[in-house]
Amino acid sequence: MVGYIIRRLLFLPLTLLLVAFVTFVVLRLTGNPVDIFLDINRTPEQVAALTQRLHLDQPLPVQFLIFLRDLLHGDFGESLQFSGSAVSVVSQRVGATLQLAGAGLALAVVLGVLGGIVCAVWRDRLADAVISTLAVVGQSMPSFWLGLLLIQFFALQLHWLPTSGYGDARHVVLPAATLATILLPNFVLITRTAILELMGEQFVVTGRSKGLSRARVLTTHILPNAANPVLSFLGIQIGTLMAGSIITETIYAWPGVGRLLINSIFHRDVPVVEASVFFIAIAIAVANLMVDVLQMLIDPRIRRP
Amino acid sequence: MKRCSALALVALLAIPVAASAAAEKTLTVGAAVFPDSLRSGASSYASLSLLAQTNDPLIARDNKGDLHSALATSWEPVDPTTMRFHLRQGVKFSDGTEFTADDVVFTIGRVIDPATAYAMLSRIGQVASVTAVDKYTVDIKTKTVFPTLLRGLSDIIMEPKHYYEQAGAAAVAGHPIGTGPFIFQEWVPGDHYTLTTNKAYWGGAPKFDKLVIRTIPDGSTRVASLVAGESQVIEEVPIDLTDQVNTSGGAKVEEISTTVGLVLTFDPTIKPFDNPKVREAFDYAVNKPLILQQILKGQGELLQGQVLTKGVLGWNPDLKARPYDPDLARKMLQEAGYDFNTPVPIATQNGKYVSDTDICNAVAGMLNQIGVKATVNVIEGGVFMQMTNAQKLGPLYMVGWYSVGDADFASVWYTKGGYRTKWVDPEYEALFVAARSTNDVAERVKDYHRMMQILNEQNPSMFLFGLPSLYGLSDSVTGFGAAADKILRLTQVQFK
Repeated sequence: MVGYIIRRLLFLPLTLLLVAFVTFVVLRLTGNPVDIFLDINRTPEQVAALTQRLHLDQPLPVQFLIFLRDLLHGDFGESLQFSGSAVSVVSQRVGATLQLAGAGLALAVVLGVLGGIVCAVWRDRLADAVISTLAVVGQSMPSFWLGLLLIQFFALQLHWLPTSGYGDARHVVLPAATLATILLPNFVLITRTAILELMGEQFVVTGRSKGLSRARVLTTHILPNAANPVLSFLGIQIGTLMAGSIITETIYAWPGVGRLLINSIFHRDVPVVEASVFFIAIAIAVANLMVDVLQMLIDPRIRRP
Repeated sequence: MKRCSALALVALLAIPVAASAAAEKTLTVGAAVFPDSLRSGASSYASLSLLAQTNDPLIARDNKGDLHSALATSWEPVDPTTMRFHLRQGVKFSDGTEFTADDVVFTIGRVIDPATAYAMLSRIGQVASVTAVDKYTVDIKTKTVFPTLLRGLSDIIMEPKHYYEQAGAAAVAGHPIGTGPFIFQEWVPGDHYTLTTNKAYWGGAPKFDKLVIRTIPDGSTRVASLVAGESQVIEEVPIDLTDQVNTSGGAKVEEISTTVGLVLTFDPTIKPFDNPKVREAFDYAVNKPLILQQILKGQGELLQGQVLTKGVLGWNPDLKARPYDPDLARKMLQEAGYDFNTPVPIATQNGKYVSDTDICNAVAGMLNQIGVKATVNVIEGGVFMQMTNAQKLGPLYMVGWYSVGDADFASVWYTKGGYRTKWVDPEYEALFVAARSTNDVAERVKDYHRMMQILNEQNPSMFLFGLPSLYGLSDSVTGFGAAADKILRLTQVQFK
């Protein structure tokens, strides 16, 4: 398995190279960063200096090679709008994003899996109907709207939580709940389906027929087997989580990478955009690797040589 | 047991954090646009708004745009291209060093040095040199007669020479020091800026202890934070949420007209918009008072057939906005041989100006009613900038021009050298130069009046609205005024 992890890690640079290439091309296609970053009153000297700094006077392939060379040194260049290197600008925001994404994901997984179990065990009963309906409602609710509703209710009506901002544990509740709602319904539905499918399997029937209680069968036979589809789904959803954090961070004024990315795209702060996209790509790749490893630990059948 | 602890947790979370608020009065401002650093010289007023908390200019503007003495107490011309400034004496930077003529010479010298890349340089672009006459007197020489020098200086904050020399520009940007009403405490990029009150401020110390300027990019969240009492002042109340603020029982909206004239500019190199009659017909087809009432909720003002907003130096009181007359518009277009199948995409950004896209949609709808095939083309900000620089925005596009109190700053965009319109008029060009080349205010006003008249006759743009600036203000504070230039002026703010 260690060999597998190493091989997967060897593929990571290839993934990142593709990400770097696409980011680079898109940023160059949508306009000259110099024109966009410098304002109306720019002087020719300023244009020349920035053009040189971003290597825009070189042909495109050369620019890309320079970009790759700096990348190998972990250098995305100096941020145009902030003082400091792009890497330091992004790393200042990483903590906030990981905190929000971690809390949101944990909430979604725990509540989603619990909800899915309840739905499957009491299939076609009231609990199933209520939870499944809520899941569909949650799934179809735009997160920016949900965010505003939560602020309205918990901050303005009940005064339990702050409306926005970054600070103590109370600040993370509403953004995490908003982010969780993007993923939660799917976890409910996936868990429910996975368990229901397993319920008809022969080993489950055997377990019941040899006198095991329903609870025992569920915990020892069904849940371990249901873990894999849920985990696969989790791996796929890391991207959705990152995309969702952009909206959530904006609504709740959360100083994370998502908002930084959007802001930097508007200003065409090329180094920061590239560094942010890279961070997100690494986060997604590492999360997926962790999911794969977990799956292998759980299910010996997919253990690779 | 589990349920109990969950309830306890909820209860714990619900405890308000107001315990320490009694001892220390903190004013919290919810900012809409949050600059990315405290580096001086950025082009945006959002940036100047933060810097102006710690640093004063020689001459200050008030919320309406009138000029007042600040670090300079008086000034007089020595000759037509030299202005002498007498500095306020006994003013100290927050580190205890005295503010003197050396700091002024250093600051202005730094601004006009191209290597600094100071974006606000254009405000005092004609300044040639600055010299200290004595410790409290400086002379500023200009290359030509420069009538907007004083107004331009109100955008330039004075910075400490000794600090730059000791620590360098990067350190100054990381921790600015100034003579202003507040003192830097903490700067967290993308989140907040914390300052303490300067108890020794020459203009009178603010009557609270701490100032926190927080970024809250989303308009609804900003309003929520005001209504919840987390912030006492918020910038840019979304126009559709003004009722929510006013009926919240704890806050109200303060409105002031800005000097931003929102216009739809034609590209006269695209036929048939080379024909002034066609442009005039379009102007008749748009029901501007209705849009002002319905979309801007009556906030802001109707531009009176010119780019300048009311009260700005050079505003022509004799001009009136064209009335809404769709029949006349259609008739004029027919007479001009207008081809009603011509597609007219209206280019705009979304969220750059108050209700920009909504206004464009309304205009397109009104043009459709007289048979013009108008559509709205919403363009991302960066791409819009790119198209602006290439001067390829299509036949009709939305922009807003700031004048900050003087016609010079807005009228430049209709000159050849402004590169922001392809419309050219020799008389207008000549008047623009003439108005810039004299210190005689009456003469300048006369020139601008004629220039506005030319704009009115020729319609290089449809002149729509002077945009409002809307602040949300908690009932717990007094002494705050909405600012036309969107710079926070907080020295008079008091908690009730």
